[in-house]
Amino acid sequence: MTTTQGALEYTAEPRIRWRQHAVTFGRIAFALLLLAGWKIGADVAGPVYAADPVKVAQRIVEDTANGTLLRHIYVTVRLAAIGFAIGCFFGVALPFLLRLLPRLTNAVEPYIMASVGVPKYALIPLFILWFGIDDAPKLWLVGLLVFYPVFIAVFAGIRNVDARLVNMARVAGAGEVAIAREVVWNSLLPFFFASLKIALPRAVSAAIIGEFLVGNEGLGYLIEYSRQNFDTTGVFAGVVVATALVLVINAVLVWIDRRLSAWRPVERDMEL
Amino acid sequence: MTAEPLLEVSDLAKRFAARAGRDAPPWVIQGLSFAVKDGEFLTIIGPSGSGKTTLLNMIAQIDTASGGTVRFQSQSAPVGDPKALNPGLSCKIGYVTQEDNLLPWRTTLQNVLFPLKVQGRLNEKTRAHADALIRAVGLGGFERHYPHELSGGMRKRASLIRTLVYDPPVILMDEPFGALDAQTRTQLQEDLMRLWDLGRKTIIFVTHDIAEAIALGDRTLVLSRAPASIAGEHEIGIPRPRDIRGIMTHPDFSPLYQAIRAQVQ
Repeated sequence: MTTTQGALEYTAEPRIRWRQHAVTFGRIAFALLLLAGWKIGADVAGPVYAADPVKVAQRIVEDTANGTLLRHIYVTVRLAAIGFAIGCFFGVALPFLLRLLPRLTNAVEPYIMASVGVPKYALIPLFILWFGIDDAPKLWLVGLLVFYPVFIAVFAGIRNVDARLVNMARVAGAGEVAIAREVVWNSLLPFFFASLKIALPRAVSAAIIGEFLVGNEGLGYLIEYSRQNFDTTGVFAGVVVATALVLVINAVLVWIDRRLSAWRPVERDMEL
Repeated sequence: MTAEPLLEVSDLAKRFAARAGRDAPPWVIQGLSFAVKDGEFLTIIGPSGSGKTTLLNMIAQIDTASGGTVRFQSQSAPVGDPKALNPGLSCKIGYVTQEDNLLPWRTTLQNVLFPLKVQGRLNEKTRAHADALIRAVGLGGFERHYPHELSGGMRKRASLIRTLVYDPPVILMDEPFGALDAQTRTQLQEDLMRLWDLGRKTIIFVTHDIAEAIALGDRTLVLSRAPASIAGEHEIGIPRPRDIRGIMTHPDFSPLYQAIRAQVQ
């Protein structure tokens, strides 16, 4: 451990490298198998129930070329991003505030935990009633669905902070702000990122569901509008694009997590 | 100045809060009194479980006393209310804990600079001082390594100089070399002696190793089993600079060792 200069790079043994190739090959083969299964299934079920993957691909290319698809993606991403930012902000800020008020925390904790059990999607009609049919009800839905996993993870993360590190920092002259930023925040980063892996796909899902019900733009609207017009290919195209969107967001998240937790000794190759 | 001790512990007592449904917990420390002079290297030795760490925690104001007083520069530590504590007494008391307590997400250099950063004292001069310390304990070249990439001895060195870097007038050390192999430990003891000779700070050094207590200290206190109080006190007359590796051959060593061992029960 003391011999290398910073970067720890190992060249894989030939056997291991061969195994890695085998894994890559397996993955591609599995993807082709899935596509073939989809194609066969579509042929068997007929175009009303399942769309042909080739036609779906063509549709995606067409809609991308004429700009409509990008507009729908932009609307959904914008909605998910704003709702995510709001939910995430409160999900992080509230535990930090509660940290300073232990008695209040003990008083409100059962209520917060009980509110986790409220099915958020069941509140959509109320949100529409209260907040109208613009972005507001959808933002509430996305925000709430993001808030809970983040809040619970950060809350647990704060309880998990090593008291010895906090004491060390205090003795060394750190004030409460420095402790919160340096010790507490860095300790709970792994918890925070674990919660983001749940919250980010949820934000996209919630945005799409909101768009099913309210509005005339976005991927959710595209999927529902296509269904109403018996355009199964359009429905499948929307689902494929939504899935791709979540995968891209996850990849970005994994990349950020890897950069921020480069210090961690293990788990480096255990990403989702 | 000379009459008033720098740090005075008198009739100190400690027991931890009872858990619901259990008997009152036993006293960890009871009737403990001693004083430390400015610039003194005091070693405290005691059997495990004799409240050595608890004592240091109370001196550093991480924990409150249940009775008695701890006075530093004639000021008493608050009793009873943990919120009134001032951990580290505004950076006047440094504390090298038993575990290295390095921030795992910071490199060696960042960990060493941490106290300077949070105290707002990071500048050219203090940086140069930190650099010198890092090289003095043989951590040169490992500045950008994370704690998990260092050996146990290197982590100890990093945690030691993290306290030395901001120059607190008093340093508490809680078995800092306890878990190390004999060779590394001797090396670190020599490093510590060399650094101490340069600054002559007041050091309270807790250990369970009698030879270490004699080799390093001006004076050694022996703690009794819990509830801890002073079981014995020994002036270490061996002149400095001392030869740590050859300390056992000094004529004073053996009688001191026997006397202390008789009291450590």
